[in-house]
Amino acid sequence: MSEFKTVGKSEIRIDVKGKATGRTEYAADLKMKGMLHAYLVRCFDHAHANITKLDMSEAAKEPGVVKVVGPKDVTDKIYNQSVIDVMVPPSQVEPLGDIEDQNIFAVDRVKHYGEAVCAIIATSEAAAEHAAKKVIVEYEPLPVYLNAEQASQEDAVQFDPRKPGNLAFELPEVMFPNKTMGWGDVDAAFAEADVIVEDDLYTSKQKQCQMEPNSYIALYDDEGRLNCWTSTQMPKCVHTKLADIFDLPMSRVKLIQTTVGGGFGARLGMVLEPHICALALAMPGHPIKVQSPREEDWLTSPSRHPGDWKVKLGFKKDGTPVAAQASFASYKGAYYLDGSGVAACAGAWLQAVYNWENLAYQGRTYFTNQPVCGAYRGYGNPQQTFVMESMIDRALAELDLDPVEWRKKWHKNVGDGTWFPGVKYSSVAIDPCLEQGSAAIGWKEKRAKYANQTGTKRRGVGVGMTTHTSGAFPMLLEHTVCSLKLNEDASANLTFACSDIGQGSHTALRQIAAEALDFPTDDISLNTSDGDITGFDIGAHASRTLYVGGGAVIEAVNDAKRQVFERAAKLLEANPEDLELKDKQVFVKGSPSKSVSLKDMLHKSVFNYDATAETGPNFAEGQIEGYSSYNPKHCSPPWAATFIEVEVDMETGEYELIEMVNTHDIGRSINPAIVEGQMEGGAQHGLGMALSEELYFDEDGKVLNNGFTDYKMLGPSDLPKMTNIIVEEPDPFGPYGAKSVGETGLCTPLGAVANAIFNASGVQVTDLPITPEKLLKAIKEKEAAEKAAA
Amino acid sequence: MSHHTINLTINGMPQTVTVEGNETLLEVLREKVDQTDVKYGCGTGECGACTVLVEDNKPINSCLTLAATMDGRSITTVAGLAKGHDLHPVQQAFVEDFAVQCGYCTPGMVLKSVALLSENPEPSEEEIRHYLEGNICRCTGYTKIVTAVQNASKNMVQYAGGDAA
Repeated sequence: MSEFKTVGKSEIRIDVKGKATGRTEYAADLKMKGMLHAYLVRCFDHAHANITKLDMSEAAKEPGVVKVVGPKDVTDKIYNQSVIDVMVPPSQVEPLGDIEDQNIFAVDRVKHYGEAVCAIIATSEAAAEHAAKKVIVEYEPLPVYLNAEQASQEDAVQFDPRKPGNLAFELPEVMFPNKTMGWGDVDAAFAEADVIVEDDLYTSKQKQCQMEPNSYIALYDDEGRLNCWTSTQMPKCVHTKLADIFDLPMSRVKLIQTTVGGGFGARLGMVLEPHICALALAMPGHPIKVQSPREEDWLTSPSRHPGDWKVKLGFKKDGTPVAAQASFASYKGAYYLDGSGVAACAGAWLQAVYNWENLAYQGRTYFTNQPVCGAYRGYGNPQQTFVMESMIDRALAELDLDPVEWRKKWHKNVGDGTWFPGVKYSSVAIDPCLEQGSAAIGWKEKRAKYANQTGTKRRGVGVGMTTHTSGAFPMLLEHTVCSLKLNEDASANLTFACSDIGQGSHTALRQIAAEALDFPTDDISLNTSDGDITGFDIGAHASRTLYVGGGAVIEAVNDAKRQVFERAAKLLEANPEDLELKDKQVFVKGSPSKSVSLKDMLHKSVFNYDATAETGPNFAEGQIEGYSSYNPKHCSPPWAATFIEVEVDMETGEYELIEMVNTHDIGRSINPAIVEGQMEGGAQHGLGMALSEELYFDEDGKVLNNGFTDYKMLGPSDLPKMTNIIVEEPDPFGPYGAKSVGETGLCTPLGAVANAIFNASGVQVTDLPITPEKLLKAIKEKEAAEKAAA
Repeated sequence: MSHHTINLTINGMPQTVTVEGNETLLEVLREKVDQTDVKYGCGTGECGACTVLVEDNKPINSCLTLAATMDGRSITTVAGLAKGHDLHPVQQAFVEDFAVQCGYCTPGMVLKSVALLSENPEPSEEEIRHYLEGNICRCTGYTKIVTAVQNASKNMVQYAGGDAA
């Protein structure tokens, strides 16, 4: 018998009936009276060029066109489409070197393929799109830089005068001496190491590919308010930024969060909100809608940061990890966004996993003529998991040590440092993950069985693991406001701005409220999308919604209960702290016979018929509303390990995923089916990054595969049989002991699949994605080297 | 541009619509008859979010179908499956088995599953995965969608069996 009423139960999600019937509306489905349609005109001729002429006059004459809007018709305020700057403490912005560098429409110069140059507003989408063809733009091409090496050439055209050498970011000296994150002396340690492995690796430009394309509506209304309907993950931070860009008080900007058709980081900030709002301001009184075509999503919303890694690891014969040295030079794309974030966080995750005696990480990012990079589920962690887990297994093969046993021995533990300096692990349950995962996949038997294969088809098993975070505190602000109104019939309304971007957080947060109130979940309704009503919330990022939102919900419930107990104490002639609320009865702990009905109390708190002019209000002191303005005290990192079995064809380089076991150190699972959904969904992204997902460019910087035809994600038949193992050892800080699950499960498949291929074939592919062509090349090279040696 | 007046039966309701020669069924359904439960996902027939059923069970990508070619046809969208609060067994299974996350692929995914079960009432897991290849989901990793189709299959077969008896 569970100690909980609803926590730990896979309650049916609140939102899914509307989604399954098609009744749920997304931004694209909204229609408004007098609505006009916008089309953004983009540069598809060049990835880097000066604009020498922009002539919109012919387009303006086309049928149905209401207005043409160019760079001079909108605010010239420079902004940064990411919202990280809202979260970073102001004292850190300057040392980090975070900048604003974007215009709504390109001014004088385009820096990537598909950059917006102007817009057409028309009576229909088709009319706007047709008129766009009449816009005349002339360009003077500039050299195109598509990686860190090209962009950092001495004579390269500069992207921004504040960032010499096109170096958008490197770890700042004031925070990281020698621009290095870590501890100890790696050079001295390498000199003493028995085994050293060293290589250059590449991690790819993966795209979130949320299923809902970007669509927005904005209206500058007759009250002088700018309304924006958007499926952003971060409604409050976007609200803050829109008010700033358009120089309006926040009270005159209303942000309505529409159903979010997936995010995965692509909507961690603004995409086309500045554009649609600028158009609304240019055309007051008319709702303006933009439906961005699918193929433009790869060009406008941020992707994962790709880039070049150098990794060197040193070990003693017994496996003691004496030194890790790594650098990541990523390709930023054309604008800064969260330039500091991923470059720094990749190192933060890297140093959080194992107890390296000495460690040195350097992170840099260079502007390139590519669509922008920003947040993507994992935020630097998938990259570091791939390179570190691959290189560790290379060393372990040389040392003849078991990868599972080595990981169990050398992972960090409670009391060791997490990803953020000075914060120690509050709970670590990776050992049971590794043990149960090993048992489930048959690790020992299979590693022994697959040790000396000679045939064409060879099997292998591999493991990959990492840790992550639950919210970004204390690096970033993590603040959530929540209110809980107790209705007069003892039902409740919960109000917060926490985003459900598809993961099911609203359902799980309601379960937390129900548990804390001891109410049936159906007696609690949610109010989340109306920006005028909801209080502040950072938004859905950093696996924080359940962890921080759950803390906020519990605190709001506790505030409501405190008020209930204070009032009931008078009726029960008891101390408020001795009271308990169960099944809507308030009673003295241990004496259930002495109780008052919550419903009676709450009814009277609203319908205070007893009060007269003479008596004044008696105990009915008004409707009770609990409130919290919550900041978490920790980041309770979760851990995860994934095991994968593959079969490699040594003659073709093709490989098949046979089986996958995902394990997760969750602390407490509030809704297990939702947790599994995060693990399974994360695995699809992680395996995709490992196997096939990458954005390709021609030498002129034109994107070659911005469409589902050529950007290959894994489909239902490509995925292996998946088993989920959820390990529950409650964390002391999380709501009911819960830690996060959103991102970790994306990262671990990268290490697991690479190591399974290594186990099967004896070779490693060091640049993602691991295509059969690359694997075959590596196999042939190894065979040639062996022949030469013999 | 040529105009065509066509007759469609949409979720059982006869409708007459004037369409342009180059208008897709997706555009007509969403813009002219307000059937916004049919989703635009890619416009190139790759993601299946715009799936509708023609003559009750043949799934097509409405984004690749010219509306003018559909004169006289009967079309089912996901909104045509449920009767008020009573869900179709496939919808019910999607709800109960957590096969829905962000929900944007769900209308197409549900209709494709309905089509599969009408062609093949008891598909194997492999057959389900193969049949759903044209429908992209980016949230679930497909596991729970496959489970939902299996459970819908069981429920529908049992129900049909019970009816016969």
